[in-house]
Parts: sequence; structure tokens; C-alpha cells
Amino acid sequence: MTDALLPSDSLGELMRAAQQGDGASYRELLKTITPRVRQIIKRQRGFAGIAEVEDLLQDVLLSVHTVRSTYDPARPFVPWLLAIVRNRLVDGARRYARISRREIHVDEEDVTFSEPATNDDIGEVEDAAALHAAVRALPEGQRQAIELLKLKELSLKEAAEVSGTSVGALKVATHRAMATLRRTLSKTRE
Amino acid sequence: MNTNDLIEDLGRGLEPVTPLRPAGRRAAAWSIGAAVYLGLLVVGMSAVNTRAGGAGAGFWVSQIAAVVMGLLATRAAFVSVVPGLPQRSRVWAVVAAVLWLGTLVAASPRDFDWTTVLAASHEWVCVGFILVGGAPLMGVLAVMLRRGAPLNPATTAAFAALAVGALANVGACMSLQHANNAITFAWHGGIVLALVGVAALTGHFVFAWSAAPSRSIGENHAGDGTPRR
Repeated sequence: MTDALLPSDSLGELMRAAQQGDGASYRELLKTITPRVRQIIKRQRGFAGIAEVEDLLQDVLLSVHTVRSTYDPARPFVPWLLAIVRNRLVDGARRYARISRREIHVDEEDVTFSEPATNDDIGEVEDAAALHAAVRALPEGQRQAIELLKLKELSLKEAAEVSGTSVGALKVATHRAMATLRRTLSKTRE
Repeated sequence: MNTNDLIEDLGRGLEPVTPLRPAGRRAAAWSIGAAVYLGLLVVGMSAVNTRAGGAGAGFWVSQIAAVVMGLLATRAAFVSVVPGLPQRSRVWAVVAAVLWLGTLVAASPRDFDWTTVLAASHEWVCVGFILVGGAPLMGVLAVMLRRGAPLNPATTAAFAALAVGALANVGACMSLQHANNAITFAWHGGIVLALVGVAALTGHFVFAWSAAPSRSIGENHAGDGTPRR
């Protein structure tokens, strides 16, 4: 990794001034190196998006800031800078690999609204009719549980008060009702 | 944070910093301090005469190899914290480490028994000397290396541990009787290599970006050098 376009001598002068606390020189130095460092990062990380490139660039600038005392004014500036860029790119690649290992890739599945069938009004009506029929066919306790909890959307406590049964009994009735409805509707679809 | 804002932020209230002295000079300063400290430690254990008298040429060759390894590893550690310096000293330090282990093997008796070597419980004293006696050296070295160490934390820590282990090993050899180089090879070589391994694995905790000095803008940035958004 070399960069003939960065004027090492003048950058070295700016860094010398920055080491003495000259903020203006430091800003000028960072503004001068930023486009070149960005270019190097883009070249090395061709697959990286804009945000990732900026992340790496800012990492480099922060590293330059942190280790600015390690710059020896008697030596050229550019090799010093490029060594930092190289280190941060390696760190960035390691971080990327670490994150990738932890991530689980999920294939794009057909979600509710992208499938034509789910937007089919007729299907919806047919399903709704089948559902009403299935609910009507449920035993009294289960039907009441479904009506109170799923259709009227009462809380378990409210539904228990209305029906005069316990919360536990309502949970059992709902569970059984859902299982019955699932069975009935799958048979209807077949 | 926008990169231009970051640059403005970094330039605002910039504090002056003192450039590091050349790596060789810093390595020499630490090595001299380490030699004085270990010398005092050995004298404190008042066993120098017993050791020097009973040891053969192989013993001294190993000690010289260990000292050379320690000095080269020290230089490699100090060079590793300065971006852009040639890293040849790392190679030389590794070569010296191999040679040191080689001298120990070469000076070992041909018919040694590994069971005896591993059962040499008196070597725990040497392990203690290297670990406890080397701890202050490691502490000072870590402080001296901290400014550039986050760039190569594992490498810097590994060479620092090799330097400390090598020199503390010499101190241990000078303080306690070592009749059999096979024992020294197994125990001293083992503990020095273990130190290097542990240092390499934990280096990024010790030399984290968040712990590095000359970062005066901590409010705006995460500790790992990553800008906060």
C-alpha cells in the first residue's frame, strides 16, 4: 500500500505543528488526508457500502489522533499513516468476520402481503365464512372463550368475570378451541 | 457523526503531545532498568555464587541466548508500537527464541527421563520467580508501550511477554540450582511460551483503544475507537 499523491513533507510539517497543539494545522492535516484515506479504503474494501467506508475512515482518523505521539518528526509521514490505515482495515475485517459469524442469514420468505393469494378478497371471504362456521360448531364453553378473548378482545380477567369461569378454565378452553379450529379449517381447505 | 464534524471536534482544544523517543533508545532504557532490578532480585536471593560455580558451558550459552532473546524481543515490542517502522526485529526475536530453546535441548542429557523432568517440583520456585519477579517489569513495559500498542495489541503484548519472560528466566537460573537443562527446557521454556501465549490472547484487553492516552474527545466517541452516532 503506497500513496505517491500525498505530499509527505508538508503533511509531516502539519503533524509536527499538531503535536505542539496547533489545532488549525491538525484540522488541515486531517482534511488533506481524508479524501486519500477514503479512496484507499474504497479500493481495499470494494464490497463496503458508503456507511461502512465512513466508519472505517473515522476509525482511522481517531487512531491517528490517539497515536499521534508515535509520529517521529524525523521520519516521513506517509508510511506512518499508511501503517495505521492498514492496521485499522485489518481490524475492520476481523470485526466484520466476527459479526458475520454471529448473524443468521434469513432467506427472504413470501410475507403476507406480497403473495397474491393473501390479497384475494374472495379467499378472504371464504376463509371468514369457514371460520364463522367452525366457531359456531365449537362446544359452548370453547365458543364463548373464543368470542370473548379473540373476537371481543377482552382480557383474561374481564372474560373470566363475564363468563363466570376462572382464568385457568378460560385458558384451557381457548387452547382447545384453537386446536379444534385449526383442525376444522385445515380439513375445509383440503 | 459526520466526518467533517469529527475533524472539527478533533482539532478543537487539541493538546500538545511529546513525540516518543526512538524505539531503540526506549528499549535500551527499559532493558537497563530490568537488568538492575533483576540483579538486585538475584542478589537478594543470595544464591549467585552457588549457581555460577556449578554450571557448565552449556548453562552460560543458554543464559547468553536468553539475554539476546530478551533484548531483541524488547526492541521488537517497542518497534511494534510505532507505525511504519520496519518490523525485522520481530523475526530476529523469534529466531533468538528458537535458538535459546535449541541451546537448552543441546545441553540436555541424551538419556533424560520425562517423568523426572515433569516431577521436578522445585521448578515451581522458578515459575514463581518468573511470574512474580517479572510482574513489575511487565507493568513498567506495558506503561511504556501503551501509547501505540492498541494498533497491534496481540503482537506488542506477545513480544513484551517474551522480553520479560526471557530476562526473568535468566534471573531465575542465576538464583537457583539447575543441574539438568532438560528440566530448564521443559519448565522455563514452557512458562515463557505460556506467558507469550496468554499475552497474545489478552493483549487487546490490556491495550484497548479506550485505555490509550491522548484521547481527549471521549465524550463524542465510543471506547473502541468507533464513532458514536
